[in-house]
Amino acid sequence: MRRTVVFFLTQFLLWALVSQANHELTPWGIALFLGGLFVGLSALTFDRREALVGAFAAGFLHDVGTPLPFGTHALAFAAAVVFIQHVRHRLNRHEGLVTVMVILITNLGLFLVISAVALRLLPDADRLTSRVFSDLIASQIVLALVSPWFLALQTQALRLGGCATSPETAAHG
Amino acid sequence: MPPRRLHASRPFLVLGLLLAGWFLVPTVIKRALGISFFELQAPVHLAASHVRDLQDFWSLRTRSSHDLIAAGRDLARLNASYEVTLQQTETLRREVARLEALLRMPTLPGYRSEPARVARRDFNAWWQRLTVRKGRNYGIVLGSPVIFGGGVVGKVTEVHAYTAVVDLISSPTLRLAATLEGDTRPLSFQGANNPAFGPARGIVDYVPTDASASEFSPRRIVTSGLGGVFPAGLLIGEIVRLETSTDGLFKTGEVRLDNRLSELTEVTVLVPERRD
Repeated sequence: MRRTVVFFLTQFLLWALVSQANHELTPWGIALFLGGLFVGLSALTFDRREALVGAFAAGFLHDVGTPLPFGTHALAFAAAVVFIQHVRHRLNRHEGLVTVMVILITNLGLFLVISAVALRLLPDADRLTSRVFSDLIASQIVLALVSPWFLALQTQALRLGGCATSPETAAHG
Repeated sequence: MPPRRLHASRPFLVLGLLLAGWFLVPTVIKRALGISFFELQAPVHLAASHVRDLQDFWSLRTRSSHDLIAAGRDLARLNASYEVTLQQTETLRREVARLEALLRMPTLPGYRSEPARVARRDFNAWWQRLTVRKGRNYGIVLGSPVIFGGGVVGKVTEVHAYTAVVDLISSPTLRLAATLEGDTRPLSFQGANNPAFGPARGIVDYVPTDASASEFSPRRIVTSGLGGVFPAGLLIGEIVRLETSTDGLFKTGEVRLDNRLSELTEVTVLVPERRD
């Protein structure tokens, strides 16, 4: 329970930072979407129940204040967690680079899913594709740059909160 | 082997159950959850907005008294011209009221102006929205038009306890009735693609075929007053391109919106006055 709360606090911090960055970026016509970073670490290291709780919490943070049906982000994040957990035994998930790659691919998938849902609800969606593409590129670049920092912050926060960072570490000590 | 295959597909079974479960959750619970998460986020937006105000305040404090005197002088000039405009507006208002009484016409809807600071701008490829620092606590109601010095900003789409969410006119989710300035024939305006590193754009449909506009001689469009949300005559933008639609009955075109829309820090919400 404590791990879930500490994890949610780090997600909330990331959400606050991303929304402030997006606020400042509006004059340039660029917006960041870092959904993959919200679910990456939990999907790779937490058990399914905890990772899904984290995914739903992060999803709800994204869902409010958007014109999409409430729960869209939450379900997309949950689906991402299930997919990552299905393949994580084949990955060297304690390797930083692997984690960043998983986060980048997850973010790409989530961005495309959310775009598909959002554009389906909009008229003349084909006019928006160029902006979707530029937002995606900007998001992936920023994600690659901030992922190592945020993963370190999450791991450190969990350690400071007295929580195991993964079920394996919990079992060992 | 079947048990192994079942074990492998278990996560997807869980996902399927979650999806099915989510669709079965009553709307009331989803709504309560949405409101709870919004109110959880609201203090972050408000605090960040107040911090930005404080930053502006301290950066202004570094200005010399010379700048202050010059700004005061400019403001005094503006105030003087606004005083004259106010008197003219009052005269016109009285005239309208007199004519309405004379012709026994229904009175036009009135609005109360509620200036509000922008707490958050959320402009992405999918939607353009603002969160303002006033909500139910200032009597903001759903659907209220929002304006600024350059014309229409958008429409209030969500009202919360201390904040309200505004859909911008540049957002593809917003459509409104408009007219060419100096014309009464209605046309349809909708937010469109907002390119990166470029100004926001909109699109117009059902433009009369006798109208023309280009980048060098743009045509201004204003709200028509139809639909009852926006008062008539508010500036939306300028048509910079017009071409005949595929059916040949009307023209469609592109609208250039005010550049300042992407940097808004203060807007005015027009709250419809209740007529008892």
